[in-house]
Amino acid sequence: MFEGLSLDQAPPISVVLRFFLSVPVFGIFLSVLMMLYPTQILTVNHPLSLAAIHLLFLGVITMSMIGALFQMQSVLGGRPIPAPLGNAFLIHILFSVGIFTLAGAFITQIAPLFVLAATLLGSGIVYTVFLIIPLLFKSSLHDTLRGMRLALISLFITALLGIVMADAYAEGNFSTFHEAIRATHYSFALIGWIGALIIAVAFQVVEMFYVATPYSDWCKHNVFRIIPAALILKTLWLFLALPYVWVFDLLLAALLMGFFTTTVRRLRERKRRVSDVSIWFWSIGMGLLFVSLIAYGGYLWNMEEVILQIAVIAYALFALSIILGMMGKIVPFLVWFHLSSAGYMDAPIMSHVIPLKRSQSLFGLFVLVCGTAVMSVLYPPLFILTGVFSFALFALLGYNLIQALKLYRYTLTHGTRFTLE
Amino acid sequence: MILEFMRDDHRACDHLYAEAESALLAKDAEKAKTIFDQFYTATNHHFDMEEKELFITFEKRTGMMGGPTQMMRYEHQQLRSLIESMRLALNENRTNDFFGIGESMMIMLQQHNMKEEQMLYPMIDRTLGGDAELIIQTLRDMPI
Repeated sequence: MFEGLSLDQAPPISVVLRFFLSVPVFGIFLSVLMMLYPTQILTVNHPLSLAAIHLLFLGVITMSMIGALFQMQSVLGGRPIPAPLGNAFLIHILFSVGIFTLAGAFITQIAPLFVLAATLLGSGIVYTVFLIIPLLFKSSLHDTLRGMRLALISLFITALLGIVMADAYAEGNFSTFHEAIRATHYSFALIGWIGALIIAVAFQVVEMFYVATPYSDWCKHNVFRIIPAALILKTLWLFLALPYVWVFDLLLAALLMGFFTTTVRRLRERKRRVSDVSIWFWSIGMGLLFVSLIAYGGYLWNMEEVILQIAVIAYALFALSIILGMMGKIVPFLVWFHLSSAGYMDAPIMSHVIPLKRSQSLFGLFVLVCGTAVMSVLYPPLFILTGVFSFALFALLGYNLIQALKLYRYTLTHGTRFTLE
Repeated sequence: MILEFMRDDHRACDHLYAEAESALLAKDAEKAKTIFDQFYTATNHHFDMEEKELFITFEKRTGMMGGPTQMMRYEHQQLRSLIESMRLALNENRTNDFFGIGESMMIMLQQHNMKEEQMLYPMIDRTLGGDAELIIQTLRDMPI
């Protein structure tokens, strides 16, 4: 009856940073591909495009979200992930090697690499889901928890369909359901996994950290019912080849538009007027979500692939924006928190861990990436410039994270620790 | 219900803190000090309501002495220390230190509030059942 509140405040800092530090590595690899093969990456279903998409959605976005889940689980999930060091190590290895292998498989088209990637990533995702999901079902139920459950179940479905597709790529034999599988795979990934987790986090973060009006109870209770219902019905429609499948896309887009409107209103009317970089990232993220939804609406209307590309790029950048904003808060907080909890009296305050100037530079680079990425759909050679800005963005992110880690380690070694002796 | 009563009190404290920050941003140090003092008093009163009444009642009913309530008491201590440091910084006109410590304090406070609102208060509500109203009245009557 009383299970549900953790005695541990947070997992060891290395658990979260392990995932976060991998993000710039994948980001830099992705940026190099963008600089070398801009036109191919902007060609729908080109192997290099698929490699880039998976580097972005798995290497950058999912890697960050898994790291954040390890931290969030002890706060929102109520029960911490057991044996965090060992589990994080295992999951991180499976993900890291799996993502590089998958990107390599798409680039080289070597069949066994698809099988290896599916095995590694499939094991990593299934292991993660089965590790965390039972913890979420044993805790008191609240709306954010519902969102986390939906996100993890969607990640699981995405992985299963990914394995099926990897097998098809390995054998070069695509079933008649290939398009249905592909559409279900990316729908669950984009909306069920990424969208649901961001919405679940926003329900807590926007209201509490920025002292804003709570989201309406109707919205909180129903959003995590409507999303899975729409995704399941869309899947059925796809596999049964029924007409009007776009109705479900429209429903999901309307839901996300509602999320955009309510979040923007809350951010604008928030009580905390301190304007930090995380607010900038949330704001631009919401702008990108709006662009993505409008573009997707346009695509449903006229089926122009260029517009679909804008929608996908803007959606990915929306997720990246929220991630960069949150990472800029989480990392300095963890450095300060772990040091001060261990009794270090000279634990650096958050603004000393990642100085404001560097956070602002990161945001500036992100804006450049957004601007050039969206425009490059219309003029593909511009994508080289997106690659350059993206390279600088991830290099700076990596530098910020490494400097934060160095400061943490330096204080551990040289700091003054309070002891009763 | 305990959850609603205590959650509203969390939000009232948050609003005071946000107002103090806004006053300081507007370079009105005196107003910031006055409102921050209100935040300081309100937050300490909230912790007292929990530690002197709510947690004790919960522990007596469940027999859980070293469990979640103990963790919350530990976090109260960490938060009290941060809020005290902020008050000192504000009184000594060290604005940058105030905002610097405030960032950590706010994240920690909100993480703490999330744990209470999502987990502990629902547990307490389940434990108290029909007696919740009585406890709320006792909490309301506690002197500030």
